[in-house]
Amino acid sequence: MKSFLQEMNRNKVLFLMIAPTLLFFIVFSYIPMVGVYYAFTRFSFDGGLFGSEFIGMKNFEFLFNSGVLWNLTKNTVLYNIAFILISNILQLLCAIFLSELPGKLFRKTTQSIMFLPFFVSFVLVGAFVFNLFNSDNGVVNTMLSQLGLPTYDFYVHTAPWKYIIVFFHVWKGLGYGTVIYLAAIMSISDEYHEAAKIDGANIFQRVRHIIMPMLVPTFILLILLSLGGILKGQFDLFYQVIGNNGLLYNSTDIIDTYVYRSLAVNFDIGMGTAAGLYQSFFGFVLIITVNYIIRKVRSDYALF
Amino acid sequence: MKRQIRSFSTLLVAIMMMVTILAACGGGGSDKKETSSDTGTETKTETGGEEQTADAGKPDTSKKVQLNWYLLGDAHKDTPKVVEEWNKMLEKDLNVTVKLNFTTWTDWTTKYNLLLASGEKIDMIFASSWADYFKFANQGAFLPLNDLLPTYAPETWKSVPEQDWKEATVKGNIYAVPATYPEYTPDGIVYREDWREELGLPQITDIDSIEAYLEGVKNGKKITPINGKAYNEIFTMFKAFNNFQQIGGDSGVVVSKSYDTPRDIVAYPFTPEFEQWAHKMKEWKDKGFWNSDTLSNQKEAGDAIKTGQGAVYWRNAPGAGGYIMGLKTTNPDIKMGYFPYSRFHNLTMPTLSVNNAMAIPKSAPNPERSLMVLDKLRNDPKYYDLMSYGLEGTNYSVDTADSKYIVQPPAGTPKDDKVHTSYGIASWGYRVESMERVKQASGWPEFDSLLTEFKAQSKPNIFAGVLMDYAPVKSQQAAVNSVIQQYGQPIMMGLVPDVDKAIATYRKQLESAGVNDVLDYIKEQANKSFDEQGIQ
Repeated sequence: MKSFLQEMNRNKVLFLMIAPTLLFFIVFSYIPMVGVYYAFTRFSFDGGLFGSEFIGMKNFEFLFNSGVLWNLTKNTVLYNIAFILISNILQLLCAIFLSELPGKLFRKTTQSIMFLPFFVSFVLVGAFVFNLFNSDNGVVNTMLSQLGLPTYDFYVHTAPWKYIIVFFHVWKGLGYGTVIYLAAIMSISDEYHEAAKIDGANIFQRVRHIIMPMLVPTFILLILLSLGGILKGQFDLFYQVIGNNGLLYNSTDIIDTYVYRSLAVNFDIGMGTAAGLYQSFFGFVLIITVNYIIRKVRSDYALF
Repeated sequence: MKRQIRSFSTLLVAIMMMVTILAACGGGGSDKKETSSDTGTETKTETGGEEQTADAGKPDTSKKVQLNWYLLGDAHKDTPKVVEEWNKMLEKDLNVTVKLNFTTWTDWTTKYNLLLASGEKIDMIFASSWADYFKFANQGAFLPLNDLLPTYAPETWKSVPEQDWKEATVKGNIYAVPATYPEYTPDGIVYREDWREELGLPQITDIDSIEAYLEGVKNGKKITPINGKAYNEIFTMFKAFNNFQQIGGDSGVVVSKSYDTPRDIVAYPFTPEFEQWAHKMKEWKDKGFWNSDTLSNQKEAGDAIKTGQGAVYWRNAPGAGGYIMGLKTTNPDIKMGYFPYSRFHNLTMPTLSVNNAMAIPKSAPNPERSLMVLDKLRNDPKYYDLMSYGLEGTNYSVDTADSKYIVQPPAGTPKDDKVHTSYGIASWGYRVESMERVKQASGWPEFDSLLTEFKAQSKPNIFAGVLMDYAPVKSQQAAVNSVIQQYGQPIMMGLVPDVDKAIATYRKQLESAGVNDVLDYIKEQANKSFDEQGIQ
């Protein structure tokens, strides 16, 4: 404690500078955590947070009773792993291509065009998908029938949807992630490249031996950050693309859509909080574990 | 020296940032405190005033307040002007102004729930049996109005029929002021009558003629008859055809097997009727009466009719009127017919009075003043016309033939006029039949004869009074809801490859989700309610 005070005294200014951020997280993240208590109560408008009746783990029952939790958790985690890995790798590649492209105008234009999908709302993505794949006059089926091929009922088969969903997720986030990696590439000092060129390294060797290793910390950091949310499904994407189509749920139902579907009819704050707590708790466990492993392997890449 | 100055300025910047953030937070906090203490004293003075007013018979309006109202749906483009006009009148008569808010129709259920749960200061909100009025009232989200009504809404208190108040009563308290607008809203379908005549198809009178019609237009016109989301069309037809009376919410699986045997309560997926229906729907789907993507489709089947790509659309009777009259202006060459599903069993039930109502959330700072505004709104024609039909001249004109009625948009408005449009917001919560200046069902000529038909076969609505909040079985109910969507809806729409196998899976999933607990709970509640109503 004493040393902390000394430390504080020595770095007054630094502590002052971090104070706003700390305050922000205390006010908007830590204080609201009290609301976790809702997960253990039967909410009533009279009682509010602490006046409502305490019912223990009863709110969690709907998740466990129905026996679908395993399938939901599996779907959510697998989708997120696919999202994280494919997105990051493609973003990394695009950033490297872009950084090596000659012609500033072309590079900037490409970058902007890639960024555009980031601003498209998921409602629109849902509309795109429906217009591409619907059975009556969807683009794909129209093309198939024009070519004399049999049409395919996308909305009754589960198989293609894994790929469709992953594709649209990657498409939407590509530009944004590329910019992050591009920034990391730009921060690599020119001296390395010049030295390598003098030694006769070609472009592939430079990418392989300079850019790639220098990007590993960024790559790991981004992956670690996204792992925390691995049990949180991307609700907007799944809900807009799949909607109420029960036929597709076996391969597309994630925790968030399940919770929405179960509770949309019977709005229940307690059960909603319970589901959120389940997701956050396992996200927390996961990030601690992964960070622990990374610290064992390469301690300087670990988050904390 | 220079270094010192620099570190000093950094310090300064840091301090300034701190202060700004603290000030922002602190400001917000103290603001809140102020308002809450403000409202606290206000209610106090007002309750103090109540004793006086009880003697004087005139409520105290000396303090000027602003009320916060919420309606469902979207505002009209002229709403700001209308509300401005309204506030001028209110300020003069009652010394209040009202801020009128809308939830929009997108995700309105979620927003509505959140408005009530978050404790936002709202003085009046739309309430309805189809917006969980009974559940919220039971959970204590609304303010009991029994004591306030005679003092602050005397005219409404006298004019609303006893039965209507009774229907709005939950556990002995009135929690909402129901609209006084008796309605029959049986489900049914509108269809292209001109195509039926052209193709020489039979009159629609029963399920076989519906099938013949769908097949006829499918083959004769090469279109998808129900082109869009078709679940409502089929599900309401299923219920009406089998005379199943749904209990405990529109989305569940629990039904009374018929009106005459209300205590015979079952979960419909376990009935032979459902099996037969599922096979029939599979046939219908395979014949192409709707598309295989119907469950993911976001489009209303009614929109396809307008473009000549569809033939059938689900509407309740007044809704059919609105739709058909709307088509008369946009597509005058299309002729529509209507078939109410109530003809399957010649049975209609009037809607509950709280089908549309206005309630006051518990958090309301000024419930008394809000009731006074509502009383004025329901009983003063000037207020009623303004808040239902908008501005005279801009949104409507008085009918020259009969001055009781109005013309929307104003008479003589050219078709593509963007300024003079007919005004429409979800004003249902304060509708009063005697004050209405448009005919029911948008003046649809056939509606009068339908109404006679409905009234002749009308029976009292004995199911709506079954009050449930599902508290003891809520986790089972949540799981069941999810199963219905995942397994039930595809069967209902005939989208599964093997119907019998799918039904078996559906039943198994329902059972493991706890459908029997839900069923037992509903039975218990329903029997209690039937005992009270004296029904065997």
